[in-house]
Formats: sequence, C-alpha cells, structure tokens
Amino acid sequence: MYGLHAIAVHNGWAMALAGALIVFSGLVVLSFVISQLHKVLTFFEKKTVYMEPEPETSDIEPHKDKPWLLLPKQFPEDIKEIARLYKPLVEEIGETFYLSELYEMSRKNDFPHPHITLTAFRESKILIPDGDGVFTWNPPTENDDNENVEG
Amino acid sequence: MELFFQFLSNTGYYLAEYRNVIMIVVGSLFLYLGSAKHYEPLLLIPIGFGILVGNVPFFKGFGLGIYESNSVLHYLYFGVVTGLYPSIVFLGLGAMTDFSSLLARPVLMLLGAAAQMGIFFTLLGALALGFLPKEAGSIAIIGGADGPTSIFLTAKLAPHLIGPIAIAAYSYMALIPVIQPPIMRLLTSRKERLIRMPELREVSKKERVIFPAVGVLLCCFLAPASIPLLGTFFFGNFLKECGVTDRLAQTARTAIIDTATILLGLTVGASTQGDVFLTGKSVGIFLLGAVAFSIATASGIIFAKIMNLCLKEKINPLLGAAGVSAVPGSAREVHLVGQSEDPENYLLMHAMACNSSGVIGSAICAGILWSFMVGL
Repeated sequence: MYGLHAIAVHNGWAMALAGALIVFSGLVVLSFVISQLHKVLTFFEKKTVYMEPEPETSDIEPHKDKPWLLLPKQFPEDIKEIARLYKPLVEEIGETFYLSELYEMSRKNDFPHPHITLTAFRESKILIPDGDGVFTWNPPTENDDNENVEG
Repeated sequence: MELFFQFLSNTGYYLAEYRNVIMIVVGSLFLYLGSAKHYEPLLLIPIGFGILVGNVPFFKGFGLGIYESNSVLHYLYFGVVTGLYPSIVFLGLGAMTDFSSLLARPVLMLLGAAAQMGIFFTLLGALALGFLPKEAGSIAIIGGADGPTSIFLTAKLAPHLIGPIAIAAYSYMALIPVIQPPIMRLLTSRKERLIRMPELREVSKKERVIFPAVGVLLCCFLAPASIPLLGTFFFGNFLKECGVTDRLAQTARTAIIDTATILLGLTVGASTQGDVFLTGKSVGIFLLGAVAFSIATASGIIFAKIMNLCLKEKINPLLGAAGVSAVPGSAREVHLVGQSEDPENYLLMHAMACNSSGVIGSAICAGILWSFMVGL
C-alpha cells in the first residue's frame, strides 16, 4: 500500500498531528515554567530574608557567585593590560581550564565583553589550546607586540 | 592438500561477495571522514571500524557474527537492541549539558519544538512510501538528528532496521556542515542573519539545580515512554548541577559516556553486514533521513521567522536550525554562519539553548511515537 491511501489506512494524519501538538505543548509548558522559575525563587528568597534577617554565611565557595575583583573604572584597551586584569581569574581556576570556566568567572566579575576579549586572547596566543577544549594561560611579556582590543 | 583447500574455502577471501566489498568501502569512507576531515570523529571512527569488522566474511555457525546468538559481538550488541547504550549516553550528555542559556532565554525552547516537525512530516512520507507504521516511526525519528534516540526507538519498534537507521542518523549528523548552511542561507535574508542577540542574563545556581527535577517531571509525565532517555538525561544534569556529586558527574561525562559510545558505535557498525544492510529499504531510509533532517532544519528557521512577527526583540532566525538535537554540531554551524556575515555576532550560547531543547524535544517525540505504535 502506498501514497495518501497508506497514510490514511495507518492513521498517519492523526498520529502526525497529535504527535506534533503534544511535543509542542509539552515544550511550551516547560518553557513557561522555567521562565517563571527565577521569579518564584526571588519571591521565596525575599520571604526568607524577611523571616530570617541574618545573612547566610555558609556558602561553600562564596566568591564564585559574586564579583570578587575590583576593576578599574576606565577599562584598558591594551590587550596586555587586560590580560593583567584577567590573571587573578586564571590563578583561581588553575593551570589548565575550559574556556567556559574563564568566561563564567569573567562574567561574574563584571568584565566587559568577555566573549570578544577571550577571542582576542586566543588570537594573540595568550590562551593556548591544549586539545579537548582545554586551554592554558600564556601571559604576555613586555616585549610582545600584541594588537589592541576593545574589551 | 585437501586440508589446505578446506582451510582456503573458509577464509574471508573465498567467502567475500560484492556486498561485503561495498560495505568495506563505506566503512573506510567513514574512517577517512572521521580521521582526516574531523567530521564527528568520536562517532564515525567507532562506526566505521565496526563496519569493517562486521563485513569480514566468515563461516556461518562458528558463533562469530553479530547476529549469531553465542558470539561476543552479539553479547555486546545486546546493549543496542535493549536500548541500554542510548540510555547511558543520555546520562553522560546530561552531565555535560549546561542549561544556563536555555534558562536565561526560555522562549528559545520553542525553536527546539518547531524543529521536531521534521519527524512528523517524515512519518507521513515513510507511510506513503509503503513502510509499515513501526518502521515509519523509526525512520521518522532520524529527523530529530539524535543518534542515540534514533537507535533507542528503532530497537523498540523495528529492530531489523537498527543498522541502516543508525548509520543514516549518524551520517547526517556528521554532514551538518554540508547540509545545514545552504538551507539556512536559502531561508534567511542577510538582514535577518545580521540580527544580534542580547547578552543572556545570569542564571542562579538554584535555577540550574531545580531545572532537571522540574524537567524530568513535566516531560516524563507527558510522555512516560521517554523515561529511559530523559530520566537518565536529567539525572546526569542533576549530578552536574547539585554541586555535591562532582565525582559522579565527572565519571558520567567521561568514562561512562565514552565506554557506551565506543560499544554503541562498534556494534552498530558491525550490524551492517552487507547481506542484511544493502537492501532497497536502506536506500529508502537514507533518502527519507535526508528529507527529515532538511525539513527539521527548515521548520526551525521558519518558526523563528514567524516568532519575529510577534516579538518586540527579534531573534536571529538562524537559531532555528539549532533546534535539531545534533549537539553541538548544529549550534556550532549556526554560530559560524552568523559570524560569516558579522564576525562580532556571537550566537553560540543562544544556539546551544535551542540545541539542548532539541534534545529534550526529540526524546519526547521518541516517547510519543513509541506509545502510538504500542498497539499496532
């Protein structure tokens, strides 16, 4: 059996339509729920703060979730200068690291445009790929002739 | 002398037929694409080598072939036909996946849903071409562009088609850089490709911890047949995010997923014995697979364009192509196509959001199709 007749006999139209609607509605519901998740959490956190005014002090690694570096008001444009600002982050995450770790940490510390900066670091060989997505830090020396980057 | 001739008649050289030779050429092509061209090497190399192993001709009845009940390959193949390996691969995938971008921009999940339309269009196409409903369901899932999901569903519905469906699914995943960019360019204008996405908000740790629990409940209540895939997927993600099981998450995303991938690839490759694999049905499966994959890509892009009619803050329609669940290949391709127009346009994180919702979507589709076909 072939063609539209085969589709009709095997209930194909109903299966395709129902399947598409179910998967779509499922993901719409999930999407709606997760879009409200942070609002619900904020609501409960406010309530908790109201009930227990003492701040939490038992975070395992408190500085990882909030800024812990003081950045200059005027962010430098020279890549060597920017690399110097990134150095404490690299020291924090270890000798070899995934780019996403450095990216996350720079975002948490409010570094401007971390995507562009990390790309510039790679192009300037300050970030050296070690394979398997792992990178090492190659700090620029004074003699390096690196190009400027808008950080 | 008679012993010598008898030995000769049992060698692969004597028993070889043209179908073995064709499959050995296909296996070699996979090895070449994986090792020299770096097209999905972690998948194509185990599968390619498996095709070589599976197509060495042998004397039937020695317990050597993958379809002979007492052979070593048959025991390893058990993980494929029961859906065990795909389930383990999903555990590792969950432990690798970072849902932050999806949690930051949940609306992108709709693109993952839209890209699943390829599955249902292909279901109709396969039925129209004369495939039985269970076979059509297994072929349709190739449109999800997810190898483990395709293998899982085929193992449940049409185990005799595992070889061609797995090879088609993984081939198209490897060919993402060839298949997707022309469709993306065809369906979008340059102006649309230049749309920049805003930086994503920061997602709290609590959100990331709660999401897998919410996700598994919502998705598996809707399609309980997807528990073997989504149950392990969200469990792996919970291990990663809860912060107290780093060792387990690390093992899941390295040793466990690597072991499952090796065994899955090798045995799926070995299941493509020429006499079983080279049939008219396989050709139909390959054609329908290409159609499924292309429709999935196109429907994601078109849906993104439709969303733009209603949204104040426009989204780059290229992201729709990442709604298929080929992680991270399609997200990378979206990013590259975006950057070819504007080198400072960073779409990767947004594309990963669509990609991870595509994984969830295709697993739900597998569950839905399985439950539709149970009574047939």
